[in-house]
Amino acid sequence: MAILNESKKLHLIGKIPWIHPRGKKNAIVDVGDIRVGHLTVSRDTHNPSGLTEMIRTGLTAIIPGDMNEENRYFFGFFPFRNIQEITGYAVTEDFCYLNSPIVLTNSYSLGISYNAVLSFGFRLGRTEIWPPVLLSIDDSYLNGQKESVVEDKDVIQLLRNASNHSVKEGSVGVGLGLHAFDWKGGIGTSSRLFSISGKQFSVGALVASNHGTSELSDRADLNHDKQRRYRQKGSLTIVLATDMPLLPHQIKKVSTSVVVSLPSANTIKNSNDSVTCVLFSLANAMSLKDDGPKVFDYTVANDSSLSPMIRAGLESVTEAVLRSLCLSEPVVGQGNRRLDNIPEESFGALIQVFEKSLAT
Amino acid sequence: MSSKLVFQRNNDSIHPDRSSPDRRLRAREMGIIIGDLEPGPLNAITDVEGVRVGHTTISVGDGKGAVRTGVTVILPNDGRITEEQLCAAYFSLNGWGEMTGVAPIEETGKLSTPIFLTGTYNVGIVHTAAVDYLRQTRLDAKDSTNTLTPVVAECFDDFLSDTLRRLITREDVFNAIKKAKSGPVEEGSVGGGTGMTSFGFKGGIGTSSRMVALNGEKFVVGVLVMTNTANRDQLRIDGVPVGKEIKGYGYKEGKTKSIILIAATTAPLLPFQLKKIAKHVALGLAQTGAISQTGSGDIILAFSTGNRIPAEPAGSFHKIRSVSDFWISPLYQGTVEATQEAIINALTAAQTVVGRDGNTAYGLPLDQVKRIMKKYNRLKDGYFE
Repeated sequence: MAILNESKKLHLIGKIPWIHPRGKKNAIVDVGDIRVGHLTVSRDTHNPSGLTEMIRTGLTAIIPGDMNEENRYFFGFFPFRNIQEITGYAVTEDFCYLNSPIVLTNSYSLGISYNAVLSFGFRLGRTEIWPPVLLSIDDSYLNGQKESVVEDKDVIQLLRNASNHSVKEGSVGVGLGLHAFDWKGGIGTSSRLFSISGKQFSVGALVASNHGTSELSDRADLNHDKQRRYRQKGSLTIVLATDMPLLPHQIKKVSTSVVVSLPSANTIKNSNDSVTCVLFSLANAMSLKDDGPKVFDYTVANDSSLSPMIRAGLESVTEAVLRSLCLSEPVVGQGNRRLDNIPEESFGALIQVFEKSLAT
Repeated sequence: MSSKLVFQRNNDSIHPDRSSPDRRLRAREMGIIIGDLEPGPLNAITDVEGVRVGHTTISVGDGKGAVRTGVTVILPNDGRITEEQLCAAYFSLNGWGEMTGVAPIEETGKLSTPIFLTGTYNVGIVHTAAVDYLRQTRLDAKDSTNTLTPVVAECFDDFLSDTLRRLITREDVFNAIKKAKSGPVEEGSVGGGTGMTSFGFKGGIGTSSRMVALNGEKFVVGVLVMTNTANRDQLRIDGVPVGKEIKGYGYKEGKTKSIILIAATTAPLLPFQLKKIAKHVALGLAQTGAISQTGSGDIILAFSTGNRIPAEPAGSFHKIRSVSDFWISPLYQGTVEATQEAIINALTAAQTVVGRDGNTAYGLPLDQVKRIMKKYNRLKDGYFE
């Protein structure tokens, strides 16, 4: 078993009447100097009591750019029903900037990753890479992990090796153990170009899809074998990046608008699933140094000019979610639970639901 | 981290005999009476039934590379916090700091984890240990979920400690949990407070409590702080500008570096009410003269033991009690008073500590403080020697 009819499914995604064109790589790395890296951990360990722990997990890191005192990017989030960890919460709320890689992982690897982001900064002589921003995701449906399976050095290597080349998608990094719409979920990415008064900007999304309910599966007849792959609480984690200048209140506005407009948000409205969207803008990086400027002068978009950004963001996230499903290889995990790549007919049904939502 | 084996941990250097001539006192023992309400029997957060506090103090080496750090754990609900959760709320007065676990608290209004206080760069290591502890204790963590979101908060103990070394270990965290107990709370240079400085003197852990009567029913509100904030000339004790009057004890005005404040009450309050309690904690901080400078992460968490909510409820409904908002003000008073006294207790309890590169944070000179308080007629009779 592998990925089923990949090219046909990608063709279906392409046929959706998108308004905004894609960026060159159709990935979050189209924006500025963003880099992405994955660390995938898949192994079976036999503990002394004879039980097998099937580890199906990983980390995905997004590096916003050259993190130093000169480049603190405006940053914010919209946690919609989020019950997962978001570190750097207070700094993000009150200082509204990002000066850290964003790392997606699960609870067990979160503390190690936090510590490793510090180590990464220390080794560069940059203690100002703080606070680490980590978002946790529950991958326990397939992942039998009971303690951290990565070390400081693994995470440091991940951060160092992150690249702005094409981004691997599907069952990779933190996407390995994920579960979406009763099929295999994972990592997806996409980007869009948009213009405001003749000026061109880009927006990129990277998502970890771990959401979507059986209810939708029934409605859209997604789940043809009618097998319930029950999971308590799911989540869709979205990292959005743009080079459009946005102030923190606009970041809040855009991330909120994208989340509530998402076809994926529609699909979770009657369940326990959550959506967490974080967004940073590479424009107007602040220089917060002791001898830095005392006053900043920013050029920003009018609040009334945000619509193209919101639509382009919505399209990039929607496509990233579809790509995560399309490109996720099947995984057998803890308790021999198995999630397969979504079949073409189910994918077609999902696209119809999404398309309808995007059109209204 | 192997380098830590080279050193012996030596806690004695920070905790000399309490009967020695320069023994430390609590503010109230000195005759400083803050506010009008009576403290609880212990005048500590442990007056709130079920709350336990434990410390691991780490003092390694001297001079270059010396480490003065540790971890303090607040274990609510007699350690059964993962089975029975408590209503809680978070408030950031000035968010230049880390407190993990607050995103889920904002969403659910519940605390389901112990609270860990430590140094800034220890957060990742403490978090990893805390997740391990939660996994071991939490019933539903067996295989249905791995959403474990401990509360780990920090202040920057960089003046006294070589923080980049991050010597804290999983064992240190588990020892603090193991040692957590009800009863009197050790204050000053202990646990997470070991390397903290505040108001230009040695800071650290402090606690206090107040009894509040509502409609004939008695409740207690307790506060525990880890203070590392504010400059010397800002210090006010019960309104008296002590910081400006103190002489000597050389001190270099540094960057201000945070205070974490935890409030607990037996009064049954819902999360939106605890948010208001958390905001009132900030008023108690203000009464010490601190102005929450931009580099100070002043982060507050409040929880109530008045309702214990099963993590795995049976059925679709449960009972919950809540104080009427029209009668909540006495709790605000208790919160403000206990917060101010907890911060002052941290200062009066903390001994002088010499840390990395010989950096010295002096214990607040209690003889001078008494004289100044007396001068302003704010020292209770019979206490002045």
